[in-house]
Amino acid sequence: MREVAWRVFAAEYNEANHVIHGKGEKAPKYVITPMGGKINRLFIVGVLTDVENIGKEGIRWRARIADPTGIHNVYAEPFNPEAASLLADMEAPSYVAVTGKVRIYEPEEGSIYLSMRAEEVKKVDAFLRDYWIIQAARNLKMRIDAMREALNMPSPSIRQLRELGYPLNVAEGVVEAIKFYDIDIEHYEYLLREALSYISIEKKETSEEVKKAEEKMVAIVKELQGDEGAEWDAVIEHAVKEGIDKEIAEEAISNLMEEGIIYEPELGKLKMV
Amino acid sequence: MEFEEAVEEILNNVDVEREEVEKKLKEFLDYGVPIEQAKNALIRKYGGGAREKKIKDIKPGDRNIITIAKILTIDEREVEVKGATRKIYRGLMGDETGIIPFTAWKDFGLQKGDVVKIKKAAASEWQGQPRLSLSEWTIIEKVDYEIELAKMPPKRLNLIDIRPNISNVEVRGKIVSIEKREVDVGDERKIVYSGIMEDETARIRFTAWKDFELKEGDAIKIKGAYVRSWRGSPQLIFDENAEVEKIDEKIEYKPYVIPLFKVVERGGGLDILIEGIVLEIRRDSGIIFRCPQCGRRLKEGVCDEHGQVDGVPDLRIRALIDDGTGAVDVVFNRSLSEKLLGKSMEDYMKMAEDAMDYGIVYSEIVDKLLAYPVRVYGDSIQSDFIISIIAKDAEIVQPDVKKEAEELMIELGG
Repeated sequence: MREVAWRVFAAEYNEANHVIHGKGEKAPKYVITPMGGKINRLFIVGVLTDVENIGKEGIRWRARIADPTGIHNVYAEPFNPEAASLLADMEAPSYVAVTGKVRIYEPEEGSIYLSMRAEEVKKVDAFLRDYWIIQAARNLKMRIDAMREALNMPSPSIRQLRELGYPLNVAEGVVEAIKFYDIDIEHYEYLLREALSYISIEKKETSEEVKKAEEKMVAIVKELQGDEGAEWDAVIEHAVKEGIDKEIAEEAISNLMEEGIIYEPELGKLKMV
Repeated sequence: MEFEEAVEEILNNVDVEREEVEKKLKEFLDYGVPIEQAKNALIRKYGGGAREKKIKDIKPGDRNIITIAKILTIDEREVEVKGATRKIYRGLMGDETGIIPFTAWKDFGLQKGDVVKIKKAAASEWQGQPRLSLSEWTIIEKVDYEIELAKMPPKRLNLIDIRPNISNVEVRGKIVSIEKREVDVGDERKIVYSGIMEDETARIRFTAWKDFELKEGDAIKIKGAYVRSWRGSPQLIFDENAEVEKIDEKIEYKPYVIPLFKVVERGGGLDILIEGIVLEIRRDSGIIFRCPQCGRRLKEGVCDEHGQVDGVPDLRIRALIDDGTGAVDVVFNRSLSEKLLGKSMEDYMKMAEDAMDYGIVYSEIVDKLLAYPVRVYGDSIQSDFIISIIAKDAEIVQPDVKKEAEELMIELGG
């Protein structure tokens, strides 16, 4: 049976320190997260912040991929040269989607370092990143609900959670997490809100005027950026010439930077991501 | 307490011959041990406490179970255990209190209808339900009396919740299509009525082993149906033991997005709507060549059946779709591939010819679809490791993420 790809926030994944072994010939390993994820495969979309070569032969790469809660460490191994070369050629920052398997490093009993081993890698856009946040949030919300239900049961069981309609892997993960962790639902609810506000709040305040200006600012930056990036002042000057108010232009730039569409390669310069 | 009474009580609690118990108890009494104490000592000695259990009282984790039950169904199947193939037997057994699924790890010679006394069995949990495990150490003997099975009220289910190998269900639905067929059962030729029915939640195949005079468009209620797996998907079956009545209700199935874990658990479905992210484009996607005679895909210009032929080009995509709860394979035919990619097969033929490489079409499919959310309407087909869905319609979805984020915030209460 194909293992499902979990959308899980970096903070929750990295806080996990419990691994169980599945049944059967191949006995897959599952990372049990504090809110009851039972993870063998992940799908993440985030901002690639850096990628470095860590293999002697130049065929092993480590990438750091940021989501609103933390950093996913992703390894591309020699046996998957395609994923490795895609990651190696990508410039930071850029939006990237990665499917991969859990990678578990346990130097000694009780200390576990989690990362993921890339299977598929693709450069994507801001829309797919935002949509990923929604999916990860929905999944976490479902597990928080399941966790609440389970904690209200005299003896939480997979069977009772299944009867409430939760998927088998969620029921199994939640029951296992309760055995192992001190459950702190509030912590993850806070994290969930933080992640969501990343999408919802900033953009609500954007006026129509600023929104229109954003499109024009993108065009201006594209035109002026060259290899090094466009001078901030030159961009603003250009915008004013096109009839955009200076304050509006500056607000538009700062929105575009928050959205990860434009960044500052160095102070005072602007470039498209 | 009388001697006989004590013997009976011991026998009720342990699994030892009467003769042995009588002998031992007498020995204790001869040594002047009070009968009450002697009785308790013997129960402990013989590993007592293993009392006969009713089916409804069996819980996952129970060991050393003694029960008497009737075998209701039994199927033989082969499984791989540590590289070796072995036969196991699975089925259902029941008593006057309930029904439980079981797995027998060796051949006890069990037959449908047998009433048996089972000793030293264990119960495990499987998909959230208790399941009786009959192992090397389990002792089974046939007993010579009838069990009045629990007359349980049928379990009322929506068609979406129908799973293979459940029995005694009650469903309601509308007959979408029905046809009369003849089938051979052993040496006998039987007439069955099979087709498709629907309720608000799903469509499902059914077979009626009796003429209930059903026709297309009838709304019915069925009590006492059971479910079998047919080509990997659940099929509803009802026979002379079922009650079928026509009802005056308007029933209509409108496809809605089903989470993939449900699709995977129930083994696929008919006319289902799913949504997920394309996580992999299978290598055999793109321009392929088919045999002009049989339509099979050619391998290096050769058809398995018809040898070297002039291939007919076709465009298709096979993609893995995962929604975070489950994963399925989806096959998109030429017109749906063209719809998703926004280009025609001719465009791609030309592109590939210019580049002198059909691989360029694969790269473009990856570029346009990998990591994107798609919505698919279709039917599942049987395949070995993963459920495959043949798409009948498909589109790339454009969710309004800001709206969804706000909705989620509201659900979180602030």
